[in-house]
Amino acid sequence: MAKNHTRYIFSMGELKRKDNSIAFSNEKGNFYLPIEETRELYCLNEVSFNTKFLDFIARAGITMHIFNYHGNYSGSFYPKEYLISGDLTIKQSLSFVNERLVIAKSIVSAIAQNIHEVLYHYYRHDKKELKPYIDWLKNDVPSLLHVTMKVEQILFVEGQIWSRFYDSFKYFLPEDFVMNKRVKRPPDNPINALISFGNTLLYTKTIASIYHTHLNQSISFLHSPREGRFSLSLDLSEAFKPVIVFKTIFDLVGRKKLQVLKHFDKSLNYALLNEEGKKIFIDAFEERMNETFLHVKLKRKVSYKHCLKLDGYKLIKTIVEGREFTPFLLKEKM
Amino acid sequence: MITGTLINYYFHCRTQCWLHANRINLEDNSEDVRIGKVLHEISEEKAQKAEVKIDNVKIDKITKEYLVELKKSDSDPEAVKWQVLLYLYKLRGKGIERKGKVEYHEKNHNTKSEIIELDDANEKALLSVLEAITTLITSPTPPAPKFENKCKKCAYFDYCFI
Repeated sequence: MAKNHTRYIFSMGELKRKDNSIAFSNEKGNFYLPIEETRELYCLNEVSFNTKFLDFIARAGITMHIFNYHGNYSGSFYPKEYLISGDLTIKQSLSFVNERLVIAKSIVSAIAQNIHEVLYHYYRHDKKELKPYIDWLKNDVPSLLHVTMKVEQILFVEGQIWSRFYDSFKYFLPEDFVMNKRVKRPPDNPINALISFGNTLLYTKTIASIYHTHLNQSISFLHSPREGRFSLSLDLSEAFKPVIVFKTIFDLVGRKKLQVLKHFDKSLNYALLNEEGKKIFIDAFEERMNETFLHVKLKRKVSYKHCLKLDGYKLIKTIVEGREFTPFLLKEKM
Repeated sequence: MITGTLINYYFHCRTQCWLHANRINLEDNSEDVRIGKVLHEISEEKAQKAEVKIDNVKIDKITKEYLVELKKSDSDPEAVKWQVLLYLYKLRGKGIERKGKVEYHEKNHNTKSEIIELDDANEKALLSVLEAITTLITSPTPPAPKFENKCKKCAYFDYCFI
């Protein structure tokens, strides 16, 4: 397993610099994290820190993601850029002007292919009701994308892919996890809570990966750069959602490792994970991110997490060298 | 302005040279490098490495007789030779005459050194190399990489072969 450089903090306490280590202290005592073995910090509870601490982690290039008490994402501490290329930013903008549709289509196509790959597993295991949807993904989506001329049409196809995907849950998930509809802010049932939490974790992972490239976080292709967020992270995380977020959810729910009555907050109508639920989810999520396999093209072992950065490199190649952009495909393992 | 690193890269690998010149420097994936960098970065006690800077050329060490270039390994002596010639040439432009000396400090090995002098012949060759580098790095796209053994350890490996 690849080395894990992500630290999650679940309890209340204080983060400090202690000599050249990160120290976390609460009433239970002091815990030390070696700085060189940390790349990302997640604060899932109320944590205090000072500017000396922020300066310390900034110089080590660590990004810190902050979540509020309800598990909603508040934002990231993003150290000042260390890889800056004005030239690449100009080329990235030119790609947006000239190649936006092509790149956006390749992202949506990758979503469809990866969902197909994930669902095909259930289809093979006797969930024959999935047939119309997986056929649609395989045959209709490519031709729909082929004729789309506008970004709005591409976004419509993407919306269709996801909403049909959510509809298909009823064929293979336990009844108490079947959703009526996708509701985001705030989620209104357990499955929505899992999707929101998982997507946010993946989004923050993508932010941290892109940080270590020259790409400009705000120039995106599928999502509108006007959204004013790190919208490129939204773009690059899309193809990984079926692979990382949904496979983790299906696995935990299918094996009953996550249960509605035990792992969700009852006082909020089970629409949020409780602390134990979050821990179970994060463990499984991290394990999947760090799972390694042989990359077909590079012929070396890589983790899914590393693949996020590799997709950044692919995009740089598209921008600089005009090569076609193909996001990570689960079937091809590259 | 062509730097020592750039001329070194030119002889080591043209793709690397283009990418570096066009400011696409990738994060080094090697854990050792990161550990070293992070520790160096955060330890304020450590004094700044004694480097001499002339224009945009950073010189490791300069003595009465020699300009000294320190290298960890002797894996690419040709690339180092041209790097040193560039330094000698720049120094000559400032009216400073030196001979070049490359010291290889390899782990568990004795220090080896090599003397390089800037004469008319290699000065002429250097000028045409500088011209060739300018042509290379101003071309719109990088040259396609060819896989070699040295690629395996390179920070650009992922970028080149993805």
